[in-house]
Amino acid sequence: MTRISWWLVDILSRILEPDERDAVRGDFSESGESAGQALRDLLGLVIRRQAALWKDWRPWLALVGLILPLGILLSIVARVTASVSSTYIWLYVNNWDWALLRHAGFWYVLADSVTPAVVSCLTLVCWSWTTGFVLGSLTRRLIPVYGVLFCLALVFGGLVGAPQYFAYLMHSINRPLSPDESDPISALVFYRQMLPLIVQAVLVAIPSLRGMRHGADGRMFPPLLRMILWTAAVLTLAMLVTQAPGFVFFLKAYWLQRIWQGWQIRLLQFVVYWPVGYLFARMIWRRWHDRTAAI
Amino acid sequence: MLGEFEYLMISAASRLGEDAYGSAIRHEIEEATGRRCSIGALYTTLDRLESKGFVKTWMGDPTPQRGGRPKRLVRVTAKGIHEAAAFYEAVMRVSRGVSWQANQATVCHD
Repeated sequence: MTRISWWLVDILSRILEPDERDAVRGDFSESGESAGQALRDLLGLVIRRQAALWKDWRPWLALVGLILPLGILLSIVARVTASVSSTYIWLYVNNWDWALLRHAGFWYVLADSVTPAVVSCLTLVCWSWTTGFVLGSLTRRLIPVYGVLFCLALVFGGLVGAPQYFAYLMHSINRPLSPDESDPISALVFYRQMLPLIVQAVLVAIPSLRGMRHGADGRMFPPLLRMILWTAAVLTLAMLVTQAPGFVFFLKAYWLQRIWQGWQIRLLQFVVYWPVGYLFARMIWRRWHDRTAAI
Repeated sequence: MLGEFEYLMISAASRLGEDAYGSAIRHEIEEATGRRCSIGALYTTLDRLESKGFVKTWMGDPTPQRGGRPKRLVRVTAKGIHEAAAFYEAVMRVSRGVSWQANQATVCHD
């Protein structure tokens, strides 16, 4: 229990500024406090520090303008992604035969059916990562709180927001955007309830939290690079909002559907995948930096 | 005017002189008040005092007793001494003629 408490002290103290973290950990070592008491003391300090940050208007604006709407929007998109994938997952899991691997036709059908699902999953990951990147770029000190609030928004969206939204949308346009819940696959609890939550956890929550860390690091980039990354991020989030299910219908912006057909907009779609290029470039840079540092 | 806890911190730091740092100030306050002093209250009040110009703080050298971690050293400024003296005089003035022992005997019990 003591080891776990000290481990929690170590994790929690990382929220503090480096100097303060050293001073507080040194005070604990000097005073010989028990792990439990140190944890309580540290929790009190962390809560006071975080509460002081929320006296400013900017965190509240981020909460209302970004965290809540994007969290719920990504829950909705995750539900659609899960629905698209559920049919293929059910098909292959319930009809699997290792003998299929020897047939060329199987590979052709597999590629044809899995490719759209993979692309939609990758798009969701990039949208989620970009959301986290934007939140992390705003402030480093509030990243832990933003992460918790974002995950809560996802949970709310996944359990309440998305189902209610699709029920309202189906009622409004009388045409479901996700597969009918009376079909055999959606009737299964795993595909109806569990798979959307798994997709949210793996393709939304984890990339978003990673994106926050990268966004915080991005604050140290040169101004031109920051501007380029922010432009890509804003365009990506604009794509997320305008391509969300029901957006065209609710805003009566049917003209958008014609614009999306244009080759310029299709080309712009590739901007959504900028996190892939960013992470790849970062990996190359770090390898080159480590190699030159070793020399 | 200073708050009660701010006065305790400035007094403890003044008494400690060059040895004034976070943990030592906390120990002084706990000895004087007989109550536990939380680290959260200590460091947030220290930041507030520094922002008002009543104290100056800086990071010292790491020591083995602190697991190789530095201390946050504290020094009271002239402005801080002036404010603490004003608080002390105000408490003395308002307490003139008040006998807490006699008052305890005559206090109304509800």
